Amino acid sequence: MIEAAHLRKAYGARLAIDDLNFSVGAGEVVGLLGPNGAGKSTTLSILATLIKPDAGEVRIAGIDSRVAPDSLRRKLGFVPQSIALYPPLSAIQNLQIFARIYGLNRRLAESRSLETLENVGLRDRADDPVWTLSGGMKRRLNLACGLVHRPEALLLDEPSVGVDPQSRERIFTTIRAVADSGVAVLYSTHYMEEVERMCDRALLIDRGKLVAQGTVAHLIELGGHHPRMEITFEKRPRPGWHDGLAGVKEIARATVDTKILLELANLGQVSELVDRAREAGSERLEFTVHSPNLSDAFIALTGHALRDPTGEI
Amino acid sequence: MLRAAWIVFQNEFRLLARDRTALFMLAFAPLVIITIAGLSLGNIYGVQPGSEPYSIIVVDDDHQWLARALIDAFDRDHSISVVLVANLVEARAIVGKRARAPLCIVIPPNTSRAFEAGHEVHLTLYVDPVKRLEAGAIELHLDRLCREVTARAHDLAQKKVAEQASHLRNQLAHFAGQMKAMTSQLDLLHRQFERARATAQSEVALQMRQTIDQVRGEVTTQINRTLAQTRTAVERDLAARRDALMAVSRYLGQLQASQRDFETWLAKLKSAAGSHASQIPPPPSWPAPPDKGQLAELSKPLDFPAPRIDLTSSIRLPEKAIRLPRMPKFPDLRSIPDFGKLASQTTTPLPGILGWRERSINGGDADVNTFDQYVPGFGITFLLVDMLWGLGVGLIDERDWGTLARLRVCGAPASGMMIGKLMSRFLIGLGQMILLFGAGWALFGISLGHNSWALLLPAAAISFAAAAFSLVIACVANTRDAVLPIGAVAALAMSAIGGCWWPLDFEPHWMRALALAMPTTWTMEAFNNLMIRGLDPSSVAWPTAVTFAIGVIFLTLGILSSSRIYQNAGQ
Repeated sequence: MIEAAHLRKAYGARLAIDDLNFSVGAGEVVGLLGPNGAGKSTTLSILATLIKPDAGEVRIAGIDSRVAPDSLRRKLGFVPQSIALYPPLSAIQNLQIFARIYGLNRRLAESRSLETLENVGLRDRADDPVWTLSGGMKRRLNLACGLVHRPEALLLDEPSVGVDPQSRERIFTTIRAVADSGVAVLYSTHYMEEVERMCDRALLIDRGKLVAQGTVAHLIELGGHHPRMEITFEKRPRPGWHDGLAGVKEIARATVDTKILLELANLGQVSELVDRAREAGSERLEFTVHSPNLSDAFIALTGHALRDPTGEI
Repeated sequence: MLRAAWIVFQNEFRLLARDRTALFMLAFAPLVIITIAGLSLGNIYGVQPGSEPYSIIVVDDDHQWLARALIDAFDRDHSISVVLVANLVEARAIVGKRARAPLCIVIPPNTSRAFEAGHEVHLTLYVDPVKRLEAGAIELHLDRLCREVTARAHDLAQKKVAEQASHLRNQLAHFAGQMKAMTSQLDLLHRQFERARATAQSEVALQMRQTIDQVRGEVTTQINRTLAQTRTAVERDLAARRDALMAVSRYLGQLQASQRDFETWLAKLKSAAGSHASQIPPPPSWPAPPDKGQLAELSKPLDFPAPRIDLTSSIRLPEKAIRLPRMPKFPDLRSIPDFGKLASQTTTPLPGILGWRERSINGGDADVNTFDQYVPGFGITFLLVDMLWGLGVGLIDERDWGTLARLRVCGAPASGMMIGKLMSRFLIGLGQMILLFGAGWALFGISLGHNSWALLLPAAAISFAAAAFSLVIACVANTRDAVLPIGAVAALAMSAIGGCWWPLDFEPHWMRALALAMPTTWTMEAFNNLMIRGLDPSSVAWPTAVTFAIGVIFLTLGILSSSRIYQNAGQ
C-alpha cells in the first residue's frame, strides 16, 4: 500500500535520508523508529508529498507521487507531529473543512465528521472551539482530521507526544481499529515502547539510512539478546574495575563518566558487578538491569543509543 | 526583593535587544511615520523658498493694468507660479489634472476701469474642492494681495487728490486776489453808477415837469374850446324840445279835466238809469293827443355833435434830450477762472475695493464636508490594516498552526487556497468600505456623489489591491510578530503618502511622484472625483484601472512569495 524506493533527500551538504526502501501493507502498522534527526519527519514529509525527494519514488495505493500527486493525496491521511487545527473553530468545523477539501460533499463531510469524532471520543465536544480543548483532546482531534476521509494509507508523525495516558490509550485504540479496517499505517516515533506495543513491524532508521527492518522480535534478536546493566557512580570509577568478568563490556558512557552502560554475558554477573563497583570507589550506587529490547537492538545495530545518553537512555 | 528587581530589570533589556519587532516598532516605525508626516505637512506651515511652487491658473479677461499688476505680484512670489490660459475650459482641465494647482483666478473684463471708477470689483476664484486646504493658503495670499493693491491704489489716489487740492488751493488763492481787485473795481463802478443815476434822475424829473406843464396848458385850451361849441349845440336842441313838452303838458291838463267831467257824468247817469244802467250808452270820446310831429320830436334823440378834442394835432410833446453819464469800464471777466473745469479737476474718484468670490471649479459647492475626505481616507487606511490582520497574519497563523501544510496534504492547490483567501477578504474589505460609507452618510452627511453606485468601483479595486498587498507583506515579514509592525508601517505610509490623511498637494514633489505607485493615491482620486468634485462615473475609470493594475502587481508578487510559503509549509 505504501511503497518507498531509493528515497534520497539532502539539505545542502547534509544528507537527510539516503537510499531508503520500505513498504507498508494494507492493515499493517509499521513503526518508523529512530533518534531525533534520523530522518523520520523527512521521510514522512516525502510520503505526504510535502517535500520532493531528490531521488527515488513513492507509491501509495499504487499511485506514483510524481505522476498524480493530487490523486495520491486523496488516498492519504497525514497526522503531523504538531497540532494542525484552526483554534478558533469548533472540532466539527475543523473536521468538515478538511473533509470538504478531500472532496467529500457537505452531507457526507458532516456525517463522517461526527462519526470520526465518535471514534476518537470527542463527540460531546464537537461544537467546542479547539482552543478550549485539552492537549490530549487536541491530539485526538488532530488524528481525527487525518482519518475523516477514510484514507487507504495513514502517516502518523509522533501522534502521542505529550498526551495524558487516557488520550494515548484512545489514540492507540483508534489507530489499531483503523489498521484493522485495512489501512496501511506508518507510525513514526522515538518511543520504542509504542512500537513494541502497536506495530506489526518496525523500521530502524539512523542518520537517514534504514538500519534494519522486521518484526519487533526479529529486531531484538538482531540486537544480540544480551542483558545490560546501567550503573551510576558517585564519582568516576577507576579504570579496569570490571576487568576479568567474561562477556562484560562497556557499551556506552555518559560524558560525565559516572553513568556507564554495560553489556553482560548473563544476569548472574549482576551481583559481582555491584561488588566491584563498590570496590571501585563508590559506597552508594544506583543501578538498573535491562532485558534486551528494541532500544538494545538499535544500540547494537547503530552503535549509539536511540535517545540522548545524557538524558534518557 | 531588590536583587530580583535588578535581575528582572536587566532581563527586560536583554529581551528587548533580542526582539527585532519591538526594536522596529520602538525606533524605525515612528521615525518613518514622523518623516512622512513632517515632509507632507511642512507646507501647511508656509511654503519655503526653493520648494516647489503652487500653480495658479489665470484667465485674464481684463487685459488692463490691474490684471497685469496682480499677475506680476504673483510672479514675484517664489511660492507661486502663474499659468495664463485663454478661458475657463482650459483652466478647468489644468486644475483637474495638474498637481499643486488648486484654483483658477478669472479676472473679469473691465475690472481695472471699474476699480478706477471706485466700484467694488471681484475676481472669481474657481476652486478645486479636493484641494480646499491648498486653495485656502492661496486665498490667504490673494487676500493679502487684494488688500495691498487696494491700499496702494488708495494711497496713489490720495496723493493725487492731495496734489490736486494743493493746485486748487493755489488757483483759488490766485482767484481770490483777482476777485478782490474785481470787487474794488465794482465798488468804484457802483459809486459811478450811483452818481450818474442821481444826475439822470434829476434831469429827467426837470424835463418831465416842463413837458407836463406845457401839455397841461395846451390840453386845457383845447378842452375849453370844445366845451363851448358843445354847449351851444345842446342849447339849440333843447329849445325845440321844451316847446313840445309844453304842448304835451297842456294837453294833459285838459285830459285831466275831461276825465273829472266824465266821472261826474257817469255817476249821474248811473243813478238816473237805475235798473237801466246797463242800457247806458258809451261814454264820450277823449281829447285828441298831441300831434305826431311833436311827439316825434320828443322821442328824437339829441342831435348835437359830440365834443371832439384833438390833441394830436394841437399838442406837440417837447423833444428833450436826456444826457446820461458815460458807462464805467467793467473789469475783464475773462480772467475769472472756469470753475466747472476746476471742479472736474477736483473730482478725481478714489479707487474701489478689490476682492474675490469663490466658486467650485466643477460648478458645485466650493465648501467641503471634511468627512468627505476622512471617511474614504481613513476607510482605506483601516482597510489596509484590517486586510493585513485578516489575510497577512491569517496566512502566517495558518502556517504556524500547521493547517496550511494540512491543506496541502489534503490536496488543496496553492492557487485554490490563495483564490479562496483573496476572494473572501476582498468581499469582506468591500463590505467594510460599504459599511463605512453608509455610516459616514448617516452620521456625518458625507456626499456619495451623483452616482453612489460608482463608489463601488474604486472600493472594489482598493479591496483587491489591499488583499494582494497584505499577501506581499505576509511573505516579506514571514513571522506573525513582524507582519503587523512592518505591515502597519507600510499601510500607514501608503495612506499618508497616498493622500488619505491630507491633500496630496501638501507633499513634496518626490513624495507625490512616489505616490503614483500606490493604490491609495488613485483610489482617493477616484473617491474625490465622485464625492467632492461631483464628477460622473467615467472619471473613476482610469484611477480604478490603475489601482487594479497595482493590485495585480501586488498579487503577482504575493502569489509568487506565498506559494513559497505554501510549498514550504510542513517542511
